[in-house]
Formats: sequence, structure tokens, C-alpha cells
Amino acid sequence: MQYAAYVLIQLLVIIMLAPLLDGIIRKIKAFSQKRTGIPLLQVYYDLLKLLRKTSVVSEESTWVYKIAPYIVFSTSIAAALLVPVTTKIMPGTLPGDIILLISILGLGRFFTMLAALDTASMFGGMGSSREAMVSILIEPSVLVSLFMVGLISKSTSLPQIMQAMKGIGAPLTYPVFVMIFLAFLIIIIAESSRIPVDDPSTHLELTMVHEAMMLEYSGRHLAIMELGAMIKQLVLITLLVNILIPHDQLIAVTGIGALVVSIFIYVAKVITVTIIIAIAEVCTVKLRFFSIPNLATLSFILLFLGFLQYFILGGSNV
Amino acid sequence: MGFVLLAAPIIAVLLFLFCSKRTLQHTVSVLTSTVLLITAVFITRGVLLWGKIEYQALGGIFYVDSLSIIVLDIVLIISFLVSIYSVSYMENEIKNEKIAPGKLKIFYVLKYSFIFTMILALTVKNMGIMWIAIEATTLASAFLVSFYSNRYALEAAWKYIIICSVGIALALLGIIFLHLSSIEVLHGSQYLDWPALCENAKLLNPSVVRLAFIFILVGFGTKAGLAPMHTWLPDAHSQAPSPVSALLSGVLLNSAMYGIIRTVAIVNRNLGSNAYVGRLLIAVGVLSIATAAIFIITQRDYKRLLAYSSIEHMGIIAVAVGVFTPLSIFGALLHMINHSFTKSMLFLSSGRVLQKYSTKDISKTKGVLRVIPITGTAFLLGLFAIAGTPPFSVFASKLNIAISIFEIGGFWLGAIFLLLLAVVFVGIALNLFRIFYGQDYVQDKKTSTPSAESNFAGIAVIMVLLTIISITGIFIPYELKELVLNAQNIIIGS
Amino acid sequence: MFSYFDVLSVQILFSSFILMANKRIKSYIKTFRIQSLLIALTAGAMGFSLEKGRIDLLVVCLLIIVLKVILIPNMLEKTYASVEYIVEKDFILNIPILVILSCALVVFSYFSVSTIEGINSGIINAQIVNSMSVILIGLFFMISRKKAIGQIVGFLVVENGLYVTALFSTHGLPFIVDLGVFIDVLTAVVIMGFMVFNISEKFDSIDIEKLNKLRG
Repeated sequence: MQYAAYVLIQLLVIIMLAPLLDGIIRKIKAFSQKRTGIPLLQVYYDLLKLLRKTSVVSEESTWVYKIAPYIVFSTSIAAALLVPVTTKIMPGTLPGDIILLISILGLGRFFTMLAALDTASMFGGMGSSREAMVSILIEPSVLVSLFMVGLISKSTSLPQIMQAMKGIGAPLTYPVFVMIFLAFLIIIIAESSRIPVDDPSTHLELTMVHEAMMLEYSGRHLAIMELGAMIKQLVLITLLVNILIPHDQLIAVTGIGALVVSIFIYVAKVITVTIIIAIAEVCTVKLRFFSIPNLATLSFILLFLGFLQYFILGGSNV
Repeated sequence: MGFVLLAAPIIAVLLFLFCSKRTLQHTVSVLTSTVLLITAVFITRGVLLWGKIEYQALGGIFYVDSLSIIVLDIVLIISFLVSIYSVSYMENEIKNEKIAPGKLKIFYVLKYSFIFTMILALTVKNMGIMWIAIEATTLASAFLVSFYSNRYALEAAWKYIIICSVGIALALLGIIFLHLSSIEVLHGSQYLDWPALCENAKLLNPSVVRLAFIFILVGFGTKAGLAPMHTWLPDAHSQAPSPVSALLSGVLLNSAMYGIIRTVAIVNRNLGSNAYVGRLLIAVGVLSIATAAIFIITQRDYKRLLAYSSIEHMGIIAVAVGVFTPLSIFGALLHMINHSFTKSMLFLSSGRVLQKYSTKDISKTKGVLRVIPITGTAFLLGLFAIAGTPPFSVFASKLNIAISIFEIGGFWLGAIFLLLLAVVFVGIALNLFRIFYGQDYVQDKKTSTPSAESNFAGIAVIMVLLTIISITGIFIPYELKELVLNAQNIIIGS
Repeated sequence: MFSYFDVLSVQILFSSFILMANKRIKSYIKTFRIQSLLIALTAGAMGFSLEKGRIDLLVVCLLIIVLKVILIPNMLEKTYASVEYIVEKDFILNIPILVILSCALVVFSYFSVSTIEGINSGIINAQIVNSMSVILIGLFFMISRKKAIGQIVGFLVVENGLYVTALFSTHGLPFIVDLGVFIDVLTAVVIMGFMVFNISEKFDSIDIEKLNKLRG
């Protein structure tokens, strides 16, 4: 019973928090441009409004197009359930680990790209080919960073990784984790289609990646798709904060009081990282598409240096 | 007394900034170098009497022993002769409109800062300050190399400053490692002091010292023009004004070599054998001689040829230091002296030839002996000397080095060494002897000076140098021998 | 306690990677500023944390901020502004390859430092490896850029690397040597900047590949 309650709370926290991050980022961008910007909660209203509307489906499309939003949403939710958010207890009954997590996210992306191709619209094809390239470029960094953490904590299971990290103390005072942190920030930016890689706020055919794939969707389907993408972004941020900045309540959960504290700490951490991402987005301009390999190299180099620092130069320090 | 050495060039630089008349500038220059020369005589006497001169003032940085006094005397004598030579040389350049009259001031300011940095490098105890001074020599002489500020000179100067600054930066890394190796042995005020390092050499961490030596060899080797870090040298030496080439070749290379020799003394004491240092130095030295030999044979520009010959001689000195027997060290130090005098004489003569013909191309220079008979003869004899023919002094020191190589049983090394020297001789004979005979061919009548031998002071300087190298070939003065033997003891340890 | 310096040394190394990945001359200069700031921080932190309280390191920290964070980059920017040329490709290989080669340099410096016996008793000191890599990357940066200003920045990075090596391996050279090195670097940059100006006047470009007249 208690177990089910934890699962429910985690699900609720994730779904409620995800759109807020987008709101925060938009607000900060608006401030940087000396505008008031839309209200913080506008993203929620938009989603609710879209959910109430029926969606228009192209006659040329097949079942893939209709089923894709649900698959994307459910993979995001599944991924969210694999990551301990506020308690050590992993809600999923599956014995999942980071490898499963990456594959689930990959499945969601696969269906997004497939659905974009399905309508045979020009933009959809362009968007999915670009998305494929970005994900291929960034995938090595994702894997290496998670495996490095796994190697250090000698496990691929997320709760155990987090426990090991807590055992280290404050991971961010060690060079290797600083490097992983920076590399993972780049990964989050690339995976959630943020500015140096993709501009989420324009529909400019020359530059858009994620928006190009969403172009054909409308109404309820669009809402679900967008929410799925936001949850995916939150899952990645959660991985970052809960692995590299672990807090006590996450590890040793005892009752309602600790849970509430844990939720507060968690939300604070996530919002901090979101603000960092927003600042990065404000400070940079969108890269030329062919410069994205440079960004991917950068994150890979960070990981390489971190790897070197830890495994060759000072493994016994940590 | 010793601080006069450091103060005089600075005062001279300040005076140049204030006086604008050209005759006054020449006077200040000659006077300063005379003062320096006289001071040098006293300090040399002091070193002969007491072995070394150390002052407590300014944190005790001033330190001169037999090794540094040899190089220091070379610096001061050659800079004295060069400043006499420059008077009429620079006047001719101004008359030929090669340089603007106002640039003379800049020339002298830079020249005396250059000389100051070299004196500083040779009179300090602290290896860190020595490094700073050697790096400063590059900076002071960069604009001397680009003095004519045409395209070629700029290219040469850019290569010079970039390659030498980076090279010498590696030497700083070496010195940092030397410091690291001694950090637990020495105390705060002794850090990086050469005598302290040398005394406690056995206690340093040998693996760090090894690493330090490689970096110092590469760093100072760049400055000394050892192959394969020599690429700046021919450009800089050929594009600089001839008095500056004489200083660069005769003096600057020695200062860098001095840094290497100081380090070798520490490293060999530390490691207890010469195997490690010897291998590296002999390899680099032979490579330098070989590189120089190849380029000398195919050379078309006589100043570049002389520059390559400097690389060759630095290679010979490196080999001699690498062999590290008392005889070879004696030969190396003697060779340093002989090479400096011979090579600066050659560069000064080539400056006269260049002013006469206004080309550096060997094929366009003909009949030097007829056009400028006195300088021409001196140039020819100087070439014989630098190629190593008796009775000149370079022959004597080369012979010493060759004998010492065979003495340690390096038959193949000795054979290669002699073969390469023969190739160099052939190269010089093949290329340069051509310019002395043939038709009088003056390329540009207008720019050449009207009377052939107008620079009497210049000719006198060349003659003095010729006399020095001829006499020391047969007879080494007692004082000089004493100094060289003391220096040899300092390097090898008695 | 020392992991704090580890983090700083890795950041300094990483800043030289960023330098390698920079495309424009203005961003080189900016990255150089950041790197120097990190070095100043390291020197300052070391000055505070050593037992004796090394005041000379604090002075050096100030000097670095004045010289390498403010003065020299400003000078370079001014030089660059006066020799402005059309923005063009300035590197010989593409950036990912350059960066990956720089990684190889880090590994190389690890192996060369690992030959030292007993450096910090058994464990190879990560800080020395990192700072030596900065030197190597600086050298590599110099050969990977074709413009004269890029070479000046490379030289400065080598110099930075040297200083960091000295800082991490021996807590800094004797103070007077440090001072002298700073004066040398400042003079070198002034002279090089002036020379760049001359070169751009004579050659109508600061592309050093055009300096190819003297050979043999």
C-alpha cells in the first residue's frame, strides 16, 4: 500500500513539475530580452487547452502516426518510473537499470522519428533525419557518462549508484564528477532540443529539429507529444541531480515528513539546474547544424578528461 | 666592480635616449664598450686570483667563476670590437640610404640592451634569472634582426622570436623540474642557485633531473642553434645587419651553450656517469654537424653559409661536452673562444663585402680580392680558419676534440666526425672561394661606396681579430690556459 | 582537501581544450582570459591554504589578474582590431580531429610524467600531468593555427602551462624568478604584437604561411 503511494507521488511530481521547467526557461529568456514574458504557468494552460481539442489526422498517414504520441508518452513515463526521484524505492516492478533507461528513451525517440516520416511531409523527414544525426552524435557521451558513474559505483542499477554517490560525500568536489556534470549538461541541452543545438521557440524551416517533427500534430496528440518530451527532459535532469548531487532523504526514506522534505530538496535542485540551462541558452546562439559535432566532441572530451583523472591518475582518491 | 658591468649598458641605453646627435651616439657607444672591456680585465684578474667573485648585495645574485668569465670575456671583447666597427658601418648604411638616420638611436639602444641581457645571463648565480636573461636576449635582439624591416627581415625576425621564445619556454620547464628535484634538499634562499645545486647534486632526485635535462637541452639548444631546432638561425643571421650577425653568432650562441654546460655539470654529478647526457649531446651534436654540412654544400648565400657554419661549430662543441673527458672539455671551451672570434671576424668581413656589392648571392659576387683587397684577404684567411686549417686556432681545438673522441674509444664516432668536418671544408671551399676571383662585378654602381676601403676602423677590427685567431692557434697565453683549466675543473669536478 | 586543486587543474586543462575548439581570434583571446583567471584563482587559493601563508603567491595572483587577465588580452584585441582581415578558416585540420589529437597529448604527458620515480610518493600527480598537458596543447595550438595572433595566444598558453606546472609541482618558483618571467612575457607580447602589425603592413595579411621566402 505504502509502495503504491510512493509510485503515485513520484508520478505526480514528475508530471506536475515537467511543464514548469519549460515555463521557467521561457521566463528567464524573456527577462534577458527585457520582456515580461508569458506567465509561469502558461505552459500548463496550453497543454490543458490542447488536451481538450480533437486532433486532425492526415488521410495519408497510417496507424504509426496515431499510436506514436501514446508510445512516446508512455516511454517517458516508464523512464521516469525507473529513476528514483524522491525516494530510494524504485517504483517500477521491473529490475531495470541505466541500460534499460537509455533503451526506453531510445524507443520513444524512434517512434517520434517514425511518426514524423509517416505523414510524408517534407519537414517531418527533414526533422527526423536531423534528430537522428543529433542523437547519434550525442549517444556516445550519454553512454560513457552513465557507464563511468556505473564503473565508479560498481553497479548499473540506479538506486545503488545513488547510494554509492552519497557514500562519496560531495561528488562535485572531485574533478571526475565535475567533468561528468558539465558533459551531462551538454547532453541535456542536446537531448531536449535546446538552443545551441535546436531552437524550441521558432518554426524556421532551416533550423528546426524537434519542432519539424511535431509540425503535423495537433490537439490532444500534440499535447501528449509535448508532455512526453518535457518529461524526458525532466528525467535527464533528475538523473543529473540525483546522481551527482545526492541528498540524504533520497537514500534513507522514513515516512511522510522525510518524503515532503525530499520533494522540496529535489524540486530546488531541479530548478537550479534548469536555471543553469536557461542561462546557457540565453548566453549562446544556435550553432550551425554542421557545428553540432563540435559540441558533441566537447562533451565527449569532458568525459574523457574525467575518465583520465579518475581511472588513470587518481583512482584511489575517490 | 662587478656591478659596473651591469650598470654601464643601462646608463648607455639611457644616454642614447637623450642624445640625438649621431657623433655623440657613436662616442657613447665606443666609450661604454671601452669601460666594459676595462672592467672585464679587472674582473678576470680577480677570478684568476680568487677563483670566483661573489657579492652579497642584491640577494647575492652576482656570481662569476672561471667558466662564466671565459664566456663573459668573449662577449665583452667582441662587443667592443663590434661597436668600433659599427661606427663606420652604420654611417655607410645611412649614406647608402639603407636605413633612416633616426634609426641609429634605436640600433644602439637595442644593441646595448642585448649586451646587457647577455652580461646578466653570465653573471648570475640563480638559474631562473639566467633563464630570464637568456629569454630577454631574444626579445632584445628581435628588432635588431628585423632592423631593415623589409619582408625578408620581418620573416626572419618572426621566426626567430616565435621559435626561440617557445624553445626557451621548454628550458623553463626544465628549470622548474630542476627546482622540483631539489625542493627537499635546498633551503628557501638557495633555490635554483647553481653552486648550491652543484654541491648537493648527489642528493637530487635522479629521475626528475633526467627529465629536466631533456627540456633544458631542447630549450637552450634551440637558442644555441642545435639541429633540429636550428631553423631560425640561418634566417636571423643572414637578415640581421652584419655587426648584429657577428654578435648573434659569436656571442649569443655561446651564452645559450653556457646554460647547457652548467646543467650538464649538475646532471653528470647527480647521475654519477656521463652515459645519459653524453648520448643525448653527441646525438644532437652530430645531427647538427650533418645538417650544417648538407646545407653548406648547397648554399647560395654567403651570410647563410656562415650561419650554417655556426650551427656546425655549436654541434662540435655539443659533441665535445658530450664526450666529457678533461681533454674534450678543454677543447670545447677553447673551441667556444676560437669559434666566436673567427666567426665574428667573418661576419664583419662579410658585412664589408655586402656593403660593397649589395647582394648576398654568391654567384653575383666576384673578384672580392681585387675590389677590396685587405678585407678580402682577411675574409679568405678567416674561411680557412673556420674550416679548420692550421695554423689557425680553430684547428687546434678541433684537433683536441677529435683526439678526445678517439681516446674514449669511439672509433666510429670519430670517423663520422672527421668525415663530416671534411664535407664542411669541401662545401666552404666549393662555394665561397669562388667569390674571391674573377671579374670585378659590382652589381649596383650607385649604392656602393666610392672608395673601396673607406672603413679604416672596420679594417683595423678585422685585423685585430685575425691576429688573435692566428696567435692563439700556435700559442695559448698562460692566463687563458689557467682559466680554461679552472673552468674544466668546475664542469667535471676535481 | 587537495581535490580542490585537482578540480582547478582539470578546469585549466579543459580551458585549453576549449581554446583548441575555438574558431575565431576573438574567442581565443576570451578563452585565454578565462584560463588566466583560473590560474590566478589557483595561485590565490594556494597562497591562502599553505601553512606558512605565502604572501608572494598572493602578489603573483594579483599580477596575473592585472597582466594576463586584463592587460595582455586587451593589447591583443587592440592589435587584432588594427590588423582586421576577412574572417576565414584559421586552422589546418577540422576541430574534432584537433581536439582528439589534444586528448592524445594528455595521454602522452601522462606517460612521460609516469617515468618519474617517487613523484608524490607512488601515485602519479594528476595536477602535474594536467599542467604539462596544457603546455603540450599550447604547442599544438601554435602549429594548428595559421594566423600570427593565434601563435601569440599559443605562446601565452605555453607560458600559462609552465606557470601552472611550477605552481603545482613546487608551489611556485622563487619570487624574483616569477617576477622576471612576467616581465619577459609582457615584453614578448608587446614585441610580437608590434611585429604582427609590421607583418600585416608588409604582407597585407597576418597569415604566417605567407612567410615562406627564406629557405635552404
